[in-house]
Amino acid sequence: MSLIGTDVTMVGGIAKVTGAINYAPDLVLPRMLHAKALRSPYPHAKLLRVDASKAEKYPGVVAVVTRDDLTGLNPYFGPVVDDQPVVATDRVRHVGEVVALLAAESREIAEEALDLIQVEYEELPAVFDLLEAAKPDAPVLHAQRNETNAGVHREEFNFELGGNVCSVFRVEDGNIEKGFQEADEIFDNTYTLPPVQHGHIEPHAATAYWEPSGKLVVHSASQNPSGVQEQLAQIFKLPENQVRVIVPPLGGGYGGKTHARLEPALALLARKARRPVQWVLTRDEVFLTGRRYGAVVKIKTGVKRDGTIIAREVQVFYEIGAYALNGPVNAKTGCYVSSGPYNIPNRSLSTYSVYTNLPPTGPFRGVGVSHVCWAYESEMDDIARRLGLDPLALRLRHLVKEGDVFVTGEKLVSVGITDCLQRAAAAIGWKGKEEQSAPPAGKDVVRGKGLAVTIKSTTTPTTSSAQVRLNADGSAILLTSSVDMGQGALTSLAQIVGDELGLPFEKVSVSFPDTDITPYDKSSSSSRTTFHMGQAAQKAAGEIRNQLLEVGAKKLEARIEDLELRDGAVSVRGVPDRRLSITDIFKARFGSSVGSMFGGYCFKTEGGLNARTGKGKAAAFWFFSACAAEVEVDRETGKTRVLRIVTAVDAGKAIHPKQCGLQNEGSMLSGMGSALFEEMVYDNGQPINSSFLEYMLPSMEDHPAEFHSILVETPHPKGPHGAKGVGEAALPPVAPAIGNAIANALGGIRCRDLPIKPDKIVAMLDALKESR
Amino acid sequence: MLTISTTINGSPQDLTVRPNQTLLECLRDDLSLKGSVEGCGVGVCGSCTVLVDGRPVSSCLMLATNAAGKAVTTIEGLSQSGELDPVQKAFLKHQAFQCGYCTPGMIMAVKGLLANHPHPTEAQTRDYLSGNLCRCGTYAEVMAAVKELAEE
Repeated sequence: MSLIGTDVTMVGGIAKVTGAINYAPDLVLPRMLHAKALRSPYPHAKLLRVDASKAEKYPGVVAVVTRDDLTGLNPYFGPVVDDQPVVATDRVRHVGEVVALLAAESREIAEEALDLIQVEYEELPAVFDLLEAAKPDAPVLHAQRNETNAGVHREEFNFELGGNVCSVFRVEDGNIEKGFQEADEIFDNTYTLPPVQHGHIEPHAATAYWEPSGKLVVHSASQNPSGVQEQLAQIFKLPENQVRVIVPPLGGGYGGKTHARLEPALALLARKARRPVQWVLTRDEVFLTGRRYGAVVKIKTGVKRDGTIIAREVQVFYEIGAYALNGPVNAKTGCYVSSGPYNIPNRSLSTYSVYTNLPPTGPFRGVGVSHVCWAYESEMDDIARRLGLDPLALRLRHLVKEGDVFVTGEKLVSVGITDCLQRAAAAIGWKGKEEQSAPPAGKDVVRGKGLAVTIKSTTTPTTSSAQVRLNADGSAILLTSSVDMGQGALTSLAQIVGDELGLPFEKVSVSFPDTDITPYDKSSSSSRTTFHMGQAAQKAAGEIRNQLLEVGAKKLEARIEDLELRDGAVSVRGVPDRRLSITDIFKARFGSSVGSMFGGYCFKTEGGLNARTGKGKAAAFWFFSACAAEVEVDRETGKTRVLRIVTAVDAGKAIHPKQCGLQNEGSMLSGMGSALFEEMVYDNGQPINSSFLEYMLPSMEDHPAEFHSILVETPHPKGPHGAKGVGEAALPPVAPAIGNAIANALGGIRCRDLPIKPDKIVAMLDALKESR
Repeated sequence: MLTISTTINGSPQDLTVRPNQTLLECLRDDLSLKGSVEGCGVGVCGSCTVLVDGRPVSSCLMLATNAAGKAVTTIEGLSQSGELDPVQKAFLKHQAFQCGYCTPGMIMAVKGLLANHPHPTEAQTRDYLSGNLCRCGTYAEVMAAVKELAEE
């Protein structure tokens, strides 16, 4: 039986149910110290004085690092723009910015000693509102950007100078003005989304030490071992082989652990302390460390009376917080899909990433796409309602199809979106136009259904490499820097290797990332692992397969084409007696029944976009999904209950169907949380709901009574066994599907501001009563 | 420092603890029982759930001194013989976890649920486990595992 498409037991499953997994906060090293950070209470201030001398003398304190310890280093870093200081230098730009980091014998001592660090601030004007921050007269966060783009080390973006707009991305098609002139109806609306938390239950955590040789070793809960290695090498001016990053399984990531966060300051502290130091954030610190971007989406659509959409203009402002992190990537990724997975002849799409004095952001499942999907899918329903059309039919009519040319100019491949939408609609019992009919009068509790679809790219070009080692006993190990963060990457990669080598699943193991041992990988993000690392692993194993078959052909005096590799042996197809076990092949090849065979492969995708035109090749592969939801809304209290949700995701080929379904379930719940109640709230830049008491994550009670995950399989010609990524696919359409269901329940009344909390629904219904 | 007598995973122990030390800190830092983990620190996420005299407790909120004279069971106490507990087996069978960080707490809460309600309804399960957050969202599988255990 093929391993592909089989629900094997998850790698590490037994360790997970027995609590035996060692996550990053569980690590204990001899003489290990504990770190605590002194953080800025101000959203924007000059640092006049930072004096740690008293704290350094406190019993049990071993070292404190401040800006005075940055001499000789590259003090700024970031995945796109080097704008984050290792520790604050001349100013702080958000509440919670790390001003000093202290190492002590215990967490309690570290906490006590923090108060002894003396800091004088001079407050500066701050800006928190996204659109205010984008104005020319707003207080500027990064003054040095007035003169230079130094430190910008990614060229595929348009960086702006002078103000708080960090980057701009644009792409156009047709003639937008002409398109609007020819339209019979114009729809023009603004949608907003607040910041939300990733909500990984494991906080950010890392441990660092320096070997006497001068080599830096960091254990970190990171989705991006190679990226952290690169950044540390750059900061400390070390060759990459002098930076070793080891990554245990993660207690959740969802994008929140994609970039270097704790590691730079921690490495600096460990160097000064000359001992291992561990830093585990508290939950309120996690809220100060990363989150999803807030956004304002302005969307204008021109439609013919028969429902043909002929023009769409979208402008998106993403609020990226105090440092760029991947804000420009997010804005780019959101830009070219901001008019949706639709064929529209005239389009003008632009996105802006904007600095504010709020805590930093970072990639979040559905990078940049959830924001625009919320807008364009809500609009689709409004358009259908005003023109008296079935929202399903309106979508189907405009959806992209196999071979269509997208706004970026590239041909779309493996386009299962029509299947996704039709199957989701059927599963929810979609009845066409009548789903938008008026709700029954006199009833407090009303029901409605809603649909939504999405398209997202996985960025190109990127690189993933893998090595496979086969032992003489017929067991193999895959060496990969892919991170296990719950998505089951190690399991599906092991399936791919086992299948290629004809080995039973139990004979394949997979390493954890350790940059001393495992080769480069771009990161475990962007739903890219199965496609990219899957291919690297398959081809690495394929090299060994070829060696086995070559030796087998000689020894068995058969042609390679007539051989098969299964159950740990090479045999002549149809002649089971003529077989050689892997051990036999080792003996034939090396004259010994011990040893290793190696295979390695570096897989790189091609393409990229021209930053000026927005044209080129945006995606290594595109992924598609649809969501259908049914809700019940209480018109008295405004409370929404989600009764049923269906997600349909085009997986290309589901290597491990159960895990794909779990990804969809997680996306569904996260999308539901941000649709109905998740929201980070600030008062003058100070987070006011930074604990799980005040910031609610969906619990088992919120799980819809019915949830169905549908896997559509439209094979991708380049994916391993046709597989694409599914990690993020289901999330973006959940909020608009729920929003559309609520609008349909309420007879077309629409909330355009997430989350759709009860008070907003009550206010809308009250406003409607008054207007009558 | 205070000395308390308690039972951890069936073994009687005298522990020296700080007056303000939580049970979770004691389990993790002093006894190296790392299966119980901290997620929120305020007793909301459930990832530190252990059984105290058979009842599920957020060990991040309970002081270690309050464990005096009581029996504490952590995830490490479930399969000491090498044989997995039925709840662990059901979680594996239904793949009722993804990243696994909340899993020990979730399993201990399920132990508490089944001790209280050997045949819980779905509503009882949802209510009882609503204090165990799983951001990976693997709730349907946990409910399926509980359903199977309840039918046994």
